[in-house]
Parts: sequence; C-alpha cells; structure tokens
Amino acid sequence: MTEEKKPEERKKRRTATEAASRIGPMVKATIGGTVQAREEGKPIAYSFICCCYDEIIRAMDIVPVWTENYAGVCGAKRDAQRFLERAEAENFSRSLCTYALCGLGFDAWREELGEMPPESPWGGQARPDMMLGSGQMLCDPRNKWYQASQRYMPDVPVYDVGLPWPPYEDDYDYREVQDYYVKYIVEELKGLVQFLEKHTGRKMDWDRLSELVDLADRTWNLIWETYELRKAVPTPMGTGDAMNTMVPMVFMMGTQEAYDFYKELNDELKHKIANKEGEIPDEKYRLIWGGGLPAWFALTDFNYFNNKGAVFPVETTYRMVEAIYHFDIDLSKITDPLEHVAWRWVKFWTYWYDKAKKRPGSHPDVERLIQYIEDYKIDGIVMHEAFSCRSWHVGLIWQLNQLKKVYRDIPSLILESDIVDISSYNEADTRARIDAFIDTLEAVKSRGR
Amino acid sequence: MPEEATGEGLAAVDRYHQDYGSRARELKRQGKKILGYLCAFVPVEIITAAGFMPFRIKGDVNEPITKADTEMETIVCPLVRSCFDMALKGNYEFLDGIVIPHACDSICRTYDIWKYSLHLPYSHFINMPHGTGKPSLDFYQAVLNTFRTSLSRFAGREISDQELTQAIGLHNQNRAKVRELYELRKASPPLISGTEVARVLIAAMSIPVEESIKMLGDVIEEVKQRGGVLAQKSARIMVVGAQVDSVAFIELIEDSGAWVVADDLCPGAREFFSDVTVTADPIEGIAERYLRKVKCGRTYREMKGNYEEYLEDRFGHMSRMIEGFNVDGVVLYIYKYCDPFGFEVPQIKSYIESKGTPVLYLEDEYSMSTIGRLRTRIQAFLELLGSK
Ligand code: SF4
Ligand code: SF4
Repeated sequence: MTEEKKPEERKKRRTATEAASRIGPMVKATIGGTVQAREEGKPIAYSFICCCYDEIIRAMDIVPVWTENYAGVCGAKRDAQRFLERAEAENFSRSLCTYALCGLGFDAWREELGEMPPESPWGGQARPDMMLGSGQMLCDPRNKWYQASQRYMPDVPVYDVGLPWPPYEDDYDYREVQDYYVKYIVEELKGLVQFLEKHTGRKMDWDRLSELVDLADRTWNLIWETYELRKAVPTPMGTGDAMNTMVPMVFMMGTQEAYDFYKELNDELKHKIANKEGEIPDEKYRLIWGGGLPAWFALTDFNYFNNKGAVFPVETTYRMVEAIYHFDIDLSKITDPLEHVAWRWVKFWTYWYDKAKKRPGSHPDVERLIQYIEDYKIDGIVMHEAFSCRSWHVGLIWQLNQLKKVYRDIPSLILESDIVDISSYNEADTRARIDAFIDTLEAVKSRGR
Repeated sequence: MPEEATGEGLAAVDRYHQDYGSRARELKRQGKKILGYLCAFVPVEIITAAGFMPFRIKGDVNEPITKADTEMETIVCPLVRSCFDMALKGNYEFLDGIVIPHACDSICRTYDIWKYSLHLPYSHFINMPHGTGKPSLDFYQAVLNTFRTSLSRFAGREISDQELTQAIGLHNQNRAKVRELYELRKASPPLISGTEVARVLIAAMSIPVEESIKMLGDVIEEVKQRGGVLAQKSARIMVVGAQVDSVAFIELIEDSGAWVVADDLCPGAREFFSDVTVTADPIEGIAERYLRKVKCGRTYREMKGNYEEYLEDRFGHMSRMIEGFNVDGVVLYIYKYCDPFGFEVPQIKSYIESKGTPVLYLEDEYSMSTIGRLRTRIQAFLELLGSK
C-alpha cells in the first residue's frame, strides 16, 4: 500500500491581494468544519459546484462537502497520488476525472478503515448522509461519481438534479425553448427539496430561501463589478489570485460571508487602483486565462508568468457569474425562488448567444473571449488542457482556431497536464513552453512598436 | 423501393461492410438526403419519418488518427476521435447534415467542433436529459419536438404523426429481425459467429431501414440453410462495452478459441432489444424508449429499493442475457477516456461475478495496435474459463 508515501515538498504561491491570501485558512476551516459537523450529527451532503442548489442547502442548514474541492486540496498539497492509486486498484481507469478518482479512492479507503485514511489532508473528507449529483451538460462525472461511490456507501442516497441549458443552434433561437428548460429545472429542484426534507426530517423555510436567493443575486452583481475592476492598467489582481477568490463564489454562494468577502476584495482592488499598484510592478504583457481548470499542484506557474512581466487580468475559468441586471429579463419580478434560480441558470449559460449571432461564424465561447480580449487589453491567450476532464477541456483548440478565423490571430499557448494528477506534469517542460510563449509575445510587441 | 440488397444476405453485408457508406453515396446521387449521426441515442425514427436516411458515423481502428488532432483534443474518447478523423478525411462527404445527442461528455463537448469544422447544411444537438423520472421524460419529449420542428424546417415540410408511426413500425421491425438473428447464436456451437453478426450490424447502420430489414431477413434464411457449419469452441463469451463498430476485437476473441455469442454493445443488444411503443402522440413512445428502455451508463437511473435492487435494475439485463445465451465468461471492453462506462466498471464487474460468471476487464484505445496487445490477456482468460 502507499500509506508511507510522504507528500512532496510544495511551494506556496505568492498572492497579490490580501483577500486571496485569506482563502487558504478559510478552506481549511470549512473542511475541518464538515468533520466536526459529522461528529455533531448535522446533516451532511456531498455536493458539486455550479449545480443551482447552493441556496437550497444553505436554507435548510445542510452542511455541504464539496468533493471537487477536497480533491483539489489533495492535489494542491501534492498528496493525491495515493488516493488515485487506490481508485485504480478498484478498477477505475486513470483516464477518468481525477477529482472523482481522488474522491472515490478516498471514500473506498475511509469506508474500509471505518475512519479517515492516515494523515488525510486537512482532517479528511467527512462521510455524507446524502449525495447530490447533477450535471446534464456540465459533466458526466457529476452523475456517475456519486453513483460509483455507492459501492462503498450503499446506504447513502443520491439525488441527481437534471440541469440543462439550451444549446446554441443556427436554426432556432434559444428563446423558443427556454420556457420548457426552466419548467424542467424547477421540477427537478422541487424534487430536490422533497428529497432533502425526507432525509433530514426538516421543512424548507421558503421565506428564508427567497432571502438567500436575493443575497446570491446581489453577490453575483458584486463579483461581476469587482472582477471588472481588474481591467485597470496595471491590473491589481491576476488569475493566480482568482483561483483563490473563486472559493466564496463556488463554495459559499448564498451566504453573507461570501458577500462580505467580495465587498472587501472590491475595496482592496479600488484602493490598489487608486495607488496604481499592480499585481507586479512592471506589467509588460496582459494575458487571458482562456480556458481550463488549473493544475492545483502547480499554481506557482502563475508566479513564473509574473516574473516574466506577464499578468492575467481576466479568465473565463470560474467566472461563473454575470451581472444580473444585464439579463434580458427582470429577475426581481420572479418571486418564486426555484423559478428565479432556474431563470438565472438559463440566462447565465445563454448570455453570449445574441452577441455571437451578430458575428458570422462566431460562437458564444469565442465571443466571450473576444469581448474580454478587447475589454482587458489582452496580448495573448493561455489555456490549460487537463487530461482527465472533458467538460472544460474539449473545444479549446477549436475555439482558438475559430477565434483566428472570425477575429484575429493572437498569440496563444495551451499548457497540458491535469487538475490533480501530478504525474502528468513536467515543470521544466512547462516553463520552457512559457519562456517560448513570452518570446513570441515580445516579438509581436516589438513588431507593433 | 430500391432493390439493392435483394436476394443476398451475407454477400450484401460484406459489400456494405467493406465499403462503408457506399449505399448512402449511391442514394445521395439519386437525390436522397443523408443525415449522419453519432451514438445509439439519436431517434432515427424521426429522421426516417422526415424522408431522410439516417447514417451512423463510424470510426476505423485500422486508420491512425492524424487529422482530427488539429481540431479535437486527444482527451476525447478515441472512438469519437476516430469518427471525426474519418469525417475530416472525406469518408462521409455525402452527408447533408449531422445530428448529435447528449450522450456523454466526449460527444456533447465536441458538437461544436463537428458543426463548425464540417460546414454541413444541417446540424442539430439533441439535448437528452440524464434522469428517467417524469420531469425528465416530459422535458425529453419537448426536446424531441424541437428536433421534429427543426427537421421540418430543413425538409421544408411538416413531419406528420402518420409518417412517424410508420417509421416507428419500420425500425421496430428492423430490431425484431436483429433479435431473430441473435436467436441463432443460442445453439452450441452457434449457427453464426460473433464476427459475422458484428459485420451484419455494422453494414445495417449504413443503409436505409427498409433495406436493412430485407438484408437481415436474407441473412437469417441463409444462415439457417447453411446449418451448423461452425466448430465447437472452448467457451461462449459475452462482450460488454460502449460503441464497438469494428469487428477486430470480436474477431480477436474468436481467433483465440471462443465464440462471442452475446453482448451489451452498440451496435448490438443494447440498441436492438427494446422497441418503441406506438402511442397516440408518436413522440411519447419514442421518448420513453430512448430514455427509459435503452440501458446505458450515460443515463442516470434513479435508485429504487436497496443497493442490490438498484444494481439489478441497472445490470439485470446483462445477467438475463448470460443465462439466455449460456455465456461462460464476460469481457468488459472499455475505451480510455470514457466516463459513462469507466465509472461503472467496478459495479458491473462485481455484479456479474456475484452471479458466478468470470469477468475480464480490458481498457483499450480503439486502434488495431492496441487491440493486438490484448491477445495474451484474452488467451489467459479463456484458459481460466477452460480450467473451470
Ligand atoms: S467538471 Fe471536470 S473536473 Fe469537474 S467533476 Fe466534471 S469532469 Fe471532473
Ligand atoms: S465510448 Fe464512452 S466516451 Fe466514447 S462515445 Fe461512447 S459513451 Fe462516449
């Protein structure tokens, strides 16, 4: 067995903002909190990010265990390999989502021991009372993972929320179909509430839910406005930090704490902008992180970019909000909280459709890149292809090709490794590719001078 | 009706199998519109009803993937990459459009790549839900009605209920023929080899349904007439996996000394063992079949009863097949990067083993060179079965 393997020494990433530096301890406390909640007998649910149920579980005081987060933490601490190997020994292919593999390996081990595996990062992942799967176009592991976990926890019930959004098509407008999408999502969320009521013996407090939905709306707007501040030259905050500041957005939505966090971040960024304080003192290249989840074990690569004079004022990854007041419907008029959440979901995913339709050959994902490139004065694109996750990492090459066709040629780099599996990563190689990319940026810049 | 396949069963199969798409190419020249599709989850009934010919896009294990990589990441399942590579290389130049279902991430996430790279006059994504509950079924019906409307727009005419009902009848007949063919595998030794069956099913994916019914009928007659020509072999094998649209793997097992007599594959039992019920609104029956009756890892079946009952609900059809076809061993043949099947491996394996049937799990990359490397493991498995 691999118990004795010690995690490799890991370097900590330098953050630019004070807000980002507070995230690590926050996550640690949250994970510790779930282990404690288990001891206190509070209902615990395995949960996925971006699944529309944040406010619902918060309103019912159910403690979420964000399984993707725990796998990410194991990855960042460079202590995921033993869980991946454990999953492999269970006959799960190493080509599958490594968040899921890490989680399944952990669960199999914890259930076998009847306690946390030895030296589990940050105290371990608490055993759940229920598992809330989801997906539908977000990813397959969102409904396969928890189903597979039931092999180790056959007594733990799963609820799977159907959560589609209308596809982008040429021959019809998404508005022709949006009503039945919303109707379906509302039904699915109703089913979720019933499921939670049944398994916790609690009743949903609908007024409280409405308040939290409203709080989440305000948080969305605040995040959007805060991130827009990063347009400033020099930019006060880069993607490296954003990979931290996404935590309240995706793991704490619908809580006052999340709102307050972004209020403070907003103040901090404004202060930095007023003082012309950039992420780095001498900003030479402005890049967009144009797709892909990060390699959690190699976040110091962002510092490496910084050392070369490159910053990332914007990213598409984890920017899971739009300003709600920009939607083509007035969400405040939709008082039923489930319907409200459903419309917010559909409007979020279709947000770039109209714009894409206006540019022949374009596509919503490409259009979003174009908009960010212009708004944030971007010189180049960096993407990351994590081999184990098809959801966010298929279509990157094609987007770049399409961007070139409908917009312009812009220097780009696709890094390759994984979110969790460090064996896919080669630091020397990665950095050599970054160096070459910086040379290209420099060449383009000097041509333009 | 064109009489292409008349009078010949296995010979027609060989022709269509060897030159995959030749019949579609011919029909295209005669003015027929051909719609390509991926995966068993495209309701071909609706395409047939619209007057188009549904054509299943397949990959080729013999053809190294070279062109696809310029547009599509290598982390996509190798089967889909191979299909796309074949399309980019002009093998399916006769297509008028493409229909892609929400099957799995590899298929769903590549829809735009197919659509923007092939520049076909028609494209459509069928947003099939994962769940099978009532809200999911209602939603799926709405999704299929959107597809119906979209196809009508492309066809420039309405698709009537009557046409749909007729198409349902045809595709049900086609499935019944395949089931009849499978009956011939129950004998020991089987009357038809697994390699031959695979060839028949592949050929059938490339011709209009009426012709397929005819061809299958001819094959069945021919096989019955030729009688028991196959030799006895040491074991009867069932293969379980995703889309296996090449005979290479089945052939490898049969070359190693066993017969493949049953499967849970596409094309194969998974897609031919359940019919569409004829309902007043034909879309209702179609939705019901694809969402609830076709059992595949891409669909999330809600848990009813306890965990054992849940496994029975998900995999019970496999054990019934093992029994019905007198299977000695199961080969679980899964592609790399396949999330829907990959996550099920431990459960399927232990479920089947718990019923007393040994299972060999193999992961592959859908190419001749990788398939070849599996030979020794298959031989060892057959030896193990022999020693039982
Ligand atoms: S989105 Fe990707 S990383 Fe996240 S659970 Fe799905 S497959 Fe895994
Ligand atoms: S083999 Fe798996 S990943 Fe590939 S198309 Fe089929 S279900 Fe999807």
